[in-house]
Amino acid sequence: MRKLQTLALALGVLTLGVQAYAAEEYLAGIPRNEILIAENPQGRVANPSWFNRWVPNHGGSSTGLQQLALDTLWYIDPDAGIDGVWENALASEPPIYNDDFTEMTVKLRDGIYWSDGVEFTSDDVVYTVQAQMEHPGMTWGSAFLGSVDSIEAPDKYTVVFKLKRPNSRFHATFTVRWGACWIIPKHVFEKAEDPSTFDFNPPISLGPYVLKSFDPNGEWYIWEKRDDWQRTTLARFGEPGPKYVAYIDPGPPDKRVILQQNHQLDIIHDTSPEGAISLVKSSPTSRGWFKGFPIAHPDPTLIAVLLNNQVDMFKDRDVRWALALLIDIKAVDMASYRGAATISAIGVPPTGLYPGYYFDPLQDWLKDFEIDTGKSTYKPYDPTVGQQIADMLRPSMGDQIPSDPNAIAAAFGYGWWKPNPQVATELLERAGYTKQGDQWMKPDGTPFSITILVEGDPRPVTTRAGTMIAQQWRDFGIDAKTQAYPTDFFPRVDSGDYEATIAWGVETWGGHPDLSYFLDSWHSEFLKPPGEIQPPRNRQRWKNAELDSVIEQIRSIGFDDPKGIDLGQQYIKLGVEEMPNIPLMSYNVFTVMDETYWTGYPSAEDDPYTDPVPNWSNSRYMMVKLKPTGATAQ
Amino acid sequence: MRAYGIYILRRFGQFVLVVFIGINVAFLITHATPIDPVEQAIASATQFAYSEPQAVEILRQSLRELYGVEGTLWQQYVRFWTRLAVGDFGPSLSAFPAPVSALIGRALPWTIGLLTTSTLISWVLGNFLGGLAGYYRENRILKAIGIVATGLQPIPSYIMSLLVLIMFGFVWPILPISGGFQMNINTEFSFALVRSVVEHSILPVLSLVLITIGVWFIGMRSLVSNIVTEDYVLYAELAGVNRHRILTSYIMRNAMAPQLTGLTLSLGAIFNGAIITEFVFGYPGVGTLLVRAVGTGDYSLVLGITSVSIIAVATGVFIIDLVYPLIDPRVKLT
Repeated sequence: MRKLQTLALALGVLTLGVQAYAAEEYLAGIPRNEILIAENPQGRVANPSWFNRWVPNHGGSSTGLQQLALDTLWYIDPDAGIDGVWENALASEPPIYNDDFTEMTVKLRDGIYWSDGVEFTSDDVVYTVQAQMEHPGMTWGSAFLGSVDSIEAPDKYTVVFKLKRPNSRFHATFTVRWGACWIIPKHVFEKAEDPSTFDFNPPISLGPYVLKSFDPNGEWYIWEKRDDWQRTTLARFGEPGPKYVAYIDPGPPDKRVILQQNHQLDIIHDTSPEGAISLVKSSPTSRGWFKGFPIAHPDPTLIAVLLNNQVDMFKDRDVRWALALLIDIKAVDMASYRGAATISAIGVPPTGLYPGYYFDPLQDWLKDFEIDTGKSTYKPYDPTVGQQIADMLRPSMGDQIPSDPNAIAAAFGYGWWKPNPQVATELLERAGYTKQGDQWMKPDGTPFSITILVEGDPRPVTTRAGTMIAQQWRDFGIDAKTQAYPTDFFPRVDSGDYEATIAWGVETWGGHPDLSYFLDSWHSEFLKPPGEIQPPRNRQRWKNAELDSVIEQIRSIGFDDPKGIDLGQQYIKLGVEEMPNIPLMSYNVFTVMDETYWTGYPSAEDDPYTDPVPNWSNSRYMMVKLKPTGATAQ
Repeated sequence: MRAYGIYILRRFGQFVLVVFIGINVAFLITHATPIDPVEQAIASATQFAYSEPQAVEILRQSLRELYGVEGTLWQQYVRFWTRLAVGDFGPSLSAFPAPVSALIGRALPWTIGLLTTSTLISWVLGNFLGGLAGYYRENRILKAIGIVATGLQPIPSYIMSLLVLIMFGFVWPILPISGGFQMNINTEFSFALVRSVVEHSILPVLSLVLITIGVWFIGMRSLVSNIVTEDYVLYAELAGVNRHRILTSYIMRNAMAPQLTGLTLSLGAIFNGAIITEFVFGYPGVGTLLVRAVGTGDYSLVLGITSVSIIAVATGVFIIDLVYPLIDPRVKLT
């Protein structure tokens, strides 16, 4: 027994010893107030010493590599931008096309240097294209093989692309929206035996930071501000504030919250709605894109109920519209985002500058839009739904809910469709559906059943939305259910192996009104038969001659042509009339920023100069806006 | 001795057969996955950036050639065994072109360190305390330890890891909660590096020990409870043999054989990694690697990890088979 008592005493002494001993600094050799620590949502990088960003399934890209060290010709910001949404980065001016869009000339900036002291020139751009064309397995090799006939560099600062066919959007390959084709340092890669198997370690930087150290196990990467940061394109906006920037894998959502509460993680990329709400409430220095509710940054991406238009029951517009009129978006909002969604009734997300381009101008048209069931007419649009959601949340969230109508629209969205089971009934009946008892039957006499594919645990927000929608359809007499495919969700969706799903097929520039980013791939020329994988984005497999015409008209005009907005509005109206998918909300990302050590983060209310989501390359603008608060390590 | 030689040969044949069948089953299962690594690569290349629809088809074909995933299942099977015969698992498809063996080689020492330490600690502590509890059945402290150990044992590892993480990472934040060592530390061998590695392993080890110690404790207590009723123990006590000697030499030594078997099997299984614990603590081991490989459809990597695990467990069993006849004369070489 005495031994046991001795053991207990030893354990007590050991515990006290641990407390006294366990004072290891969070970071070795770097003062906490000199480093910005952001989440790398890719998690632990399996191949940490691989920095060749031009190979698919390479090592990490959101490790700071593409945000801080790589650069390309142009950037489009998904929000307002630091100096407007369009940035001429390595290019000194926008792309110059000839009349028929078969030639693109790029003028480059002078005075930009790689971190090893070599000047960036047109040779680097030419090498970037030619090396990848010679190795089509490299990320952009196939894009260049399909488009580029030849590339020339008449002088150090000019590049001329000759294209195989007219392509008014060729520059998009070199335009950052999250990422783009980055420029390769020719003087480094040309010494490698094979550019597709070269690890590019250590990476030579064209951005204002250079790699300082990284975890050989892939958990963290630390970047240090270049002494010659003035010789980079970001320098036009000022000196980057943080001397060091770290991108780390903080682990599961609970741990991210703990790390930020311990002030060991300045920027959480994304966490659960519950985690973000709890963090903002409990930590006075933590804040989101919106200072109050809904906290999250709305990505320029649209979540929708995708109805597989190649499945017989969804080939009829009346059925698609009937299903839309059975959804109560407020309940879906509460179920999915706990009220923190930014809803959209139309086929673009209500984010970035799109409210001005598409939402405000179309409000009157939406209010007047009418459905004729053959038995009655109905105006389904309710412009006050965003307001209703705000009012619903105000009793529990208090001052966090804005009262200004514009702020409410920005935070919660504009209007949505009023649920109307009677009109849905009339539409279904016109489509040949009948109700027998409590169950709707299809025209062929079989039960009207719908399986909604959801991702399950990996994406609880869309899974919960799907569950709520299935419940609402079931309440009406449709045999609807969800089925989760956590590991092979996208392969199933992309091969058309589903009836309905909650996912996105609309990704936009956010800051620029051109819709070709996603819409071009919706052209019927790319549509594959059921079961075959098709190019990304037209996941609902919608085919429409009028849509093809709109896409072809967009192709025929320049990127900045004001007609593009008119054509975009035509697409949206067509989408409302045909309802190929049922838009729900933007993809809201619960990025939470800690202002203990740094201030100057972008915000919806004060300075929406960029997307705070730290894996977006556009987030590099934050570096020049962030200033130290003067706090020292706690 | 001849009988022992035949016994070894027979067991070795079983060992080879088990490994061969196990790896074949793993090959079939991994290749039945609906996740296509090429499509995963295309998705990662096109999801967030502009991509021309025409280009995707060219990329798909190029990647199939580059990754070597073309051909029938039989051709892939032959390629797999041809490579495996020289110890090559081929390139990882989610971290192309890094060799699978390099990825496993980097993660394995962390997993071995974590699980060997936690397994040995829980084994030694569990058996020691379980033995005491079985012998000193009326001791209140040992009873309390028994209640705690058996109470902790059914807690799922995810919950236990989170509890430990919240306790020592947030409520009483005295220990690091993520990674294998301190950020930005010089990774050349030094006292500071060793200290950092040890500090970062304390919480994952603790959470594993807390949920596994009960297994050994309960097993040992039951064994000892039975042995103390044996005649030879009774005689020893009546003969006035020192109680400490009775416990260590008469009881625990006899109770140790099945526990040693369990320990060997546990040590063989450490190559599977402690998936949940590694994930929660961001520990750079095989478990974390396996989760990522499954999620990305990297069947080369899944197959590599599974094969190593199969070989390790089979080797563990083989070693037990070899050693047991030597330490336990009751085992007959038939």
